[in-house]
Amino acid sequence: MDEIMARTLSFGVSGVNGYPVHVEVFGISGIPGMEIIGLPDASVRESRDRVNAAIINSGKQMQPKRITINLAPADLKKEGPSFDLPIAVGVLIATGEIIPDPGLNIDKIALFGELSLDGLVQPIAGALPMVISAKENGIRDVILPEKNAKEVACIEGMNIMPVSHLKQVIEYFEGSETLPKQKQISYESLKKEITAGATDMALIKGQKGARRALEVAAAGGHNMIMIGVPGSGKTMLARCLPGILPPMSFEEALETTRIHSISGKLPPNSGLMVVRPFCAPHHNASVASLIGGGQDAKPGEVSLAHNGVLFLDELPEFSRSAMEALRQPLEDGIVSVSRIRRQAQYQSSFMLIAAMNPCPCGYYGSTRKVCRCTPQETRRYLDRISGPLLDRIDLQIEVDSVPVQEINATAPAESSAIVAARVNAARLIQLDRYRGTGKHCNAQLNNAEVKRYCTPDAEAVRLLDAAVETMHLSMRAYQRILKVARTIADLEHSQMISSVHIAEAIQYRELDQKYWR
Amino acid sequence: MITDSSGYLYHAWLASASLPTVQAKQLLDEYRTPENVFHGFRTGHKPKGITPAGIKALENSASEQNLAKLDSLLMQHHIRAFTVLDPEYPEVLLQMQEPPAVLFYQGDLQCMKQRLLAMVGSRAASYDGRKAAGRIAQELSRKGVGIVSGMAGGIDSASHSGCIEGGSPTIAVTGCGLDIVYPSGNEGLRDSILKNNGLLLSEYAPGEKPIGWHFPFRNRIITGLAHALIVVEAKIRSGTMTSVQHALNQGKDVFVYPGDPASPYSEGNHQLLREGALYFTTGEDILEDLGWLDNPEIIRQNSVCSGRMAPSLSPEEIAVCEILKPGRLSFEQIADRSGLSPAILMSTLTMLQIKGTVEALPGKQFQLKV
Repeated sequence: MDEIMARTLSFGVSGVNGYPVHVEVFGISGIPGMEIIGLPDASVRESRDRVNAAIINSGKQMQPKRITINLAPADLKKEGPSFDLPIAVGVLIATGEIIPDPGLNIDKIALFGELSLDGLVQPIAGALPMVISAKENGIRDVILPEKNAKEVACIEGMNIMPVSHLKQVIEYFEGSETLPKQKQISYESLKKEITAGATDMALIKGQKGARRALEVAAAGGHNMIMIGVPGSGKTMLARCLPGILPPMSFEEALETTRIHSISGKLPPNSGLMVVRPFCAPHHNASVASLIGGGQDAKPGEVSLAHNGVLFLDELPEFSRSAMEALRQPLEDGIVSVSRIRRQAQYQSSFMLIAAMNPCPCGYYGSTRKVCRCTPQETRRYLDRISGPLLDRIDLQIEVDSVPVQEINATAPAESSAIVAARVNAARLIQLDRYRGTGKHCNAQLNNAEVKRYCTPDAEAVRLLDAAVETMHLSMRAYQRILKVARTIADLEHSQMISSVHIAEAIQYRELDQKYWR
Repeated sequence: MITDSSGYLYHAWLASASLPTVQAKQLLDEYRTPENVFHGFRTGHKPKGITPAGIKALENSASEQNLAKLDSLLMQHHIRAFTVLDPEYPEVLLQMQEPPAVLFYQGDLQCMKQRLLAMVGSRAASYDGRKAAGRIAQELSRKGVGIVSGMAGGIDSASHSGCIEGGSPTIAVTGCGLDIVYPSGNEGLRDSILKNNGLLLSEYAPGEKPIGWHFPFRNRIITGLAHALIVVEAKIRSGTMTSVQHALNQGKDVFVYPGDPASPYSEGNHQLLREGALYFTTGEDILEDLGWLDNPEIIRQNSVCSGRMAPSLSPEEIAVCEILKPGRLSFEQIADRSGLSPAILMSTLTMLQIKGTVEALPGKQFQLKV
């Protein structure tokens, strides 16, 4: 009898979740060849050529046998090159090239990694969900590419063994070498390491009004739209936002890193994401690239921005369908992506920051340049943004360009760190207030909750009523003003919403009157 | 089978052939009424002085399909008409070149009897320009002067609205059939003109599209109806300048609002003033120049704003008002000069807006309300 059977353990990814995959290798005398079954896609099928070369370049022989490889469960489609490593080990065992150390429990060691032809182990996408799934399935030992080690180093109670070459794995299974162990890195220590990725607010000259609005938006998690002439600094303001938002909790970091991990967006050697993501898709983005899609239902920008900021510059230039598709994730914080072969749900709770010019030429209302647009053109441009989308945006501000003399002069402005401290304090108040309701910031309140939590004092009510009368505010605006006023009061650690808070909040609805009348 | 359920079908037939006004007038002189023109034409009588192209146009316009369409449009939109020979025809128009042979109208013809002034300006007007137009129109209207304009966007719309506010009926002369509202979105203004005893006039038959050359051409009717022309805001090359030309040809005075010399929106104003146009800043100036100061003032009951807050101001509010006295400023400038924190300044500005002391302008600018 010269046929041997080997079984190694690996993991695949479906949606944002990993699932165990048993790699069964069966070698028998016959016409030499290698066949992979169990619904492999092209990149998995090509694995046999990489495995072949990698084995030979690791000092082992490729025995002339007829080899069948089954990826169980056989009814799920397998994709990606991460099965190279378990297949190579399985083949070596099944052909008798490796006599495994009897002390090792081979099918309790998770293996994944891509092989290059010379036997190097390359990083893969989706390492984080795979390791989380391993933990859930009671697996402790994981062998993975060196460059993915840091990504999973936060997960407690695992024995992570990073490798860089197939040779190391062979020696480990033969029992002649041990593998290095990845030290666990606590999330707290990762947080300390960060060098701020966001633009510092100290770099913004002038723009006192917009800075304040940004702070309020961050403090309450409110969506915001900025209208202003070209070059007024809308993009720069938006880029400051991740730096003043409170740092992600461990759970949030895990959720966000998971999504980035499966879409292969994590740079090699990076750990859990600590800084909130900032996604700025170009305005020609398709619905699928924003929401998620493709034949394997990949996550889109709204999910990559999960727990972070989605910045849409030149909002009216986005296609109508793309803008309308944003409504569901904005409302539910989750998107369902359905394709014929795959259905997946991705979290997508993000802050939307939009920027736009006031008219096609950009200079409507500017004091420095003349607008070349006809009123109809301007109207059509503004009307590209639908009411329902606008309805989900709490803060609307105008950004004017800063005069040259102000860019050169003026004292340095407050840095992001100072603003972030105030924002954080306001967020803690909100977390405390909404404990047990499943909400964590003011922006998430529905109308009933606005009534319950955002009660202004008598004078503030009178003011708001007068404002509705004189400034022609809609009922929709009324709710938004109350919510934003709640955040402003939280920033001042005030329990009560007073007329000062309401009056400031009204300023953030100014565009309703000036533009979308 | 031709049905003339509106009574103005033959007016519309004649107008929709778009004959030169001289030829159309000649037909009417010969046959007296459009109906006679039609029947005479149908019985094969070849009218004198009409070019072959004109005859072809009349034939096309007489197709049953076209007549049925005209009839239904006239009925649906309650459009009526009169010709140059009818007693309703305003005499002032007869004095100008190319008076329209047929005029269509909606609303009340009575309002042509009041003293009328034309107000024109660019469609893409500045905020200040529209404000000024509304203010002047309202002031004149309150003194019993009706405003004639073109119902376009910008200055035209502001002038009509101002006139309605002031209490006098306003007249709009359009560049397309009265069944079409141009620019689209101006339905509200049209309804409000009609509701307030105003008048819509057009020399174009129902169904006629708003074609570019119609507009400068109809401007002669706007200036023709009025005693004088008021230019609120004009660029150097603009339709407003054709109105000025018409007014001068018709021997009417041209009043020009000065506007900000630094603003490109009023370049044309200053050119006109240099060329000798009449200068004014308030409606009173115009009335004085025209010798119309005897007009009785219209007192409207509902124009008094009720329930406004008593303007008692806090120290911050007074400080901001002081800063705004010289003119409009941006939020940043007010913040710098007042030294108030952005949060406090925002709420202060809101309070001032609610109290009606300050108004917000596009571009995050603020100014004291006049």
